[in-house]
Amino acid sequence: MGTIRVRFITVALVVSFFAVGMAAFLNYFKYKSTIGGIVKSRVLVVGRSIENSVQASLSLGMQFTELSTLPAQMEREKASDRLIRGIDVFDDTGQVIYSTDPERVGQRVLRAWTEAAARSKSTEWSGEAPEEYVAGISLKNNFDLTVGYLALRYSRDYVDRAAAAAAREISLAALGAFAGIALIAPLALIVVIRRFERDLQSLEAAATHLEDRSRDAPANGSAFDEAIGYLRASLRNANVALDELRGKLDSAA
Amino acid sequence: MLEKNYLWRIYWQLAGVIMVCVVIALAAVSYFSHRVFERELVPETEMKAATEGASVRALILKATSYGIAFDRLYGVERTFEEVFSENPEFSFAGITNSEGALLYEYGKEPQGALVHFHGPALLATMRDPTVPWQVAHVGSQFMVSLPIISEGKPLGVLHIGVDSVFVDRVLLEVMLDVLVVLVVSLFFTLELLNFMAGARLASGLGEFAQQVERMKAGDFTATARVRANDEIGRLLRRIDAAVDHLNVRYEFLAGELQDKLRGAVGERREALKPAIAAFEGIGTRFRFGSSTKAADGDEMNLNRIRAPLFAFILAEELTRSYLPTYVNQLLVTVPGFSPQVVIGLPIMLFMLIVALGQPYLGSWSERIGRRNAMLIGAAVAAVGFLATALAYNLYDLLVWRSLCALGYAMVFVAAQGYVLDRTGQTNRAQGFALFIGAIMVATVCGPSIGGILADNIGFRLSFGVSAIMACLSILAILRLPSTEGRTVAKPTRGPRMREVMALIVNRRFMTLTGLAAMPAKIILTGVCFYLVPLYIVSLGNTSSMAGRMLMVYAVMMVLIVPLSARLSDKSLRRDRYVSVGLIISGLSGLLLLVSDSILVLFGVVFLLGLGQALSIAAQSALVAEHCQEEIRIYGYDAVYGVYRLLERLGNALGPLMASLLVVFWGYQGSFVALSGFVLACGIAFTIATRGAEWQAEPAHT
Repeated sequence: MGTIRVRFITVALVVSFFAVGMAAFLNYFKYKSTIGGIVKSRVLVVGRSIENSVQASLSLGMQFTELSTLPAQMEREKASDRLIRGIDVFDDTGQVIYSTDPERVGQRVLRAWTEAAARSKSTEWSGEAPEEYVAGISLKNNFDLTVGYLALRYSRDYVDRAAAAAAREISLAALGAFAGIALIAPLALIVVIRRFERDLQSLEAAATHLEDRSRDAPANGSAFDEAIGYLRASLRNANVALDELRGKLDSAA
Repeated sequence: MLEKNYLWRIYWQLAGVIMVCVVIALAAVSYFSHRVFERELVPETEMKAATEGASVRALILKATSYGIAFDRLYGVERTFEEVFSENPEFSFAGITNSEGALLYEYGKEPQGALVHFHGPALLATMRDPTVPWQVAHVGSQFMVSLPIISEGKPLGVLHIGVDSVFVDRVLLEVMLDVLVVLVVSLFFTLELLNFMAGARLASGLGEFAQQVERMKAGDFTATARVRANDEIGRLLRRIDAAVDHLNVRYEFLAGELQDKLRGAVGERREALKPAIAAFEGIGTRFRFGSSTKAADGDEMNLNRIRAPLFAFILAEELTRSYLPTYVNQLLVTVPGFSPQVVIGLPIMLFMLIVALGQPYLGSWSERIGRRNAMLIGAAVAAVGFLATALAYNLYDLLVWRSLCALGYAMVFVAAQGYVLDRTGQTNRAQGFALFIGAIMVATVCGPSIGGILADNIGFRLSFGVSAIMACLSILAILRLPSTEGRTVAKPTRGPRMREVMALIVNRRFMTLTGLAAMPAKIILTGVCFYLVPLYIVSLGNTSSMAGRMLMVYAVMMVLIVPLSARLSDKSLRRDRYVSVGLIISGLSGLLLLVSDSILVLFGVVFLLGLGQALSIAAQSALVAEHCQEEIRIYGYDAVYGVYRLLERLGNALGPLMASLLVVFWGYQGSFVALSGFVLACGIAFTIATRGAEWQAEPAHT
């Protein structure tokens, strides 16, 4: 196989690898963000009912730190979806006030959570913990002032496993598509390359007969016919001139 | 030009075949991905619908527990509306009684819903308190049904319909990105064809064409070149062999004639006269011997600049669509500055360093060699990108972006010098077409791919990708020939202060620079580099969308600039092209007075691209055309040096002006005000360049 053919096919494979790889990459990340979004909004549905309950209590004049029925409700809501690993309510300093995990009460949440909550333009925010994702809601009173934050911790493993399974399938599809292209592209390219190679071959063949003055180069419709004609004519003219000189030298002998 | 047109025809044919294969592969990947999405996302969405349904059901049970009749509940539709606003994939919600009669509904009822609601099997299942929920495919929806049971007594059923085409909607955004990938792939294909095969082919075919021309003119001098071991190399070796044979024959005959003449006297010498005449005739018609021209393969070396330049510019262009959003994340309060102005600072600083650095880096790259200058520049920028990825806050980010700017200016100037060194008057335009082509292709591919990367892997890793691209460009730069020992182009120098001062008070020069070149750059960087990325994200869109928008601008430039350059050169009314271009650019932002939709923003970028493409080529040519007197007085380098300096200062001013306007009038106001400013400049330029006065004014000295 000619070196030019190899180079062109390599280009086709590199470009195909880029395009298929990017498509797989895009599909995977879209899947991951979509499933993450669906699961997060599912968890937030649970959070909304806690938020409504807190707001109802606050509107009745109760203190945020004295919501005695809240822990029991949080336990009930946690039990309603097995995806949820724990629910925390913390104040703006990050200190946990209520939690479904009693040992977390009084501890501080990760600073990234309070930063994410503060940065968010809506009441919803999200964060991450080593083995958990966090979907959060900023709790506001009737005066639209933030009194605390609700954090619903849910299984990271659930989302990651789903994403990994999709990644496997999308990668397989991408590999299959790339394998297909690796078979089809060279065959398809050969049609174009062959014309180019034919032009080069006719040029090369003509070049082997450049000094052969007995024959005219046959025009074979290649893009280089005219150029070959000029080459042959130039060489012929030069050789004829040298032949004349040879003849005149011989006749002078 | 046979070899160039011939090669490009081959390239396009190859690119066409490759694109067909890529489209088929992308379709296959998309089809299988769609199947995965549908299989995995539908059950998840059904679960989400069940959770939402359970929340609504709890409200209903709470209401009925207060004694409100199940069929007389108030505000059910309102509750459904709220649920729908947060879940766009839901398309129907309804409550039926225990007989299946529809009591409350919201959204689009699917075909066959009433039959489904009355189905005995469903009604029986929904009386079972142990069944949490059930799913059925009804019409075009997946219907999630939940029993409503109060104290063991079935009251009815809550139904939530999930539109089965929601997966298609999810994938639509992916499809837009895949389309972007396809366009980028086409440009990559052409670049790679040129990089992996084209440079050598173009050089080989170029040499072949030159050889034909030489031999047509009777020049049979032999050139001692090393030929590549490929098809073209073999062909050239055969031609070399034919030329060598001819030279050997000529040398032999010349030697024989000399020998005979040496001993010939009288009659013998007289007999040799025809041979002498023939030999002299050959001498006038043909040239034999060794070529005195340096055999340096400059065309191939010139082509070699394209790949490193493309890879390097791509590294910077990748950041265009998300840099302002990234800066926004690292924002710190700078006393006395509004956050909007602070966001624009890194872009402004970058442009300023490039503007001020370029005139002086030219002579530096001449001193240390173009290749070395490019290597240093790319390494500096790679460090800058990596450090930007790890930036702690705005202050260190400014330092890292300054490194990127310095590296960018070094590579840009050195690459420009590389082209200048290898081109003469006859092929300089061709050399710069190659230089600008690499930059334009990078501007098409960079922002769009950068936006996609930023959305999916985050800003920091995307800067990491830019660092990798800069490192790849270093590998490509290493393949460039060293410039040591070759003649560099005429040394360039930065403009002197005296020249700058004289030219900025020169009316004709400033008409071109102040009313055309600077406003064009101000609107380019202000809108494309600052406003578009920030405004799109502020509307709730992604960096990918910003990248797509910037791609529209770049594609317009790639398509229109060659055409407008040709037409303006042909018509010799370049000032009209500049006027029309400025006015179109100026009208672009005014579209936002009509609406603030994404489609209108698309129109803004489209018009801006069109306007800039019409004026950009003609602008620079107008300097030489209308400032001949100034060029005569100060010299070509000084006039163009000041012109480029002011033009690039316009680049730095763009983000500053845009950010100040955002502070006072918001994003839309900023678009409109910048456009209004350019429109006013366009009108002023049109008036100023009318009539004979424009042609005749002498230079101020």
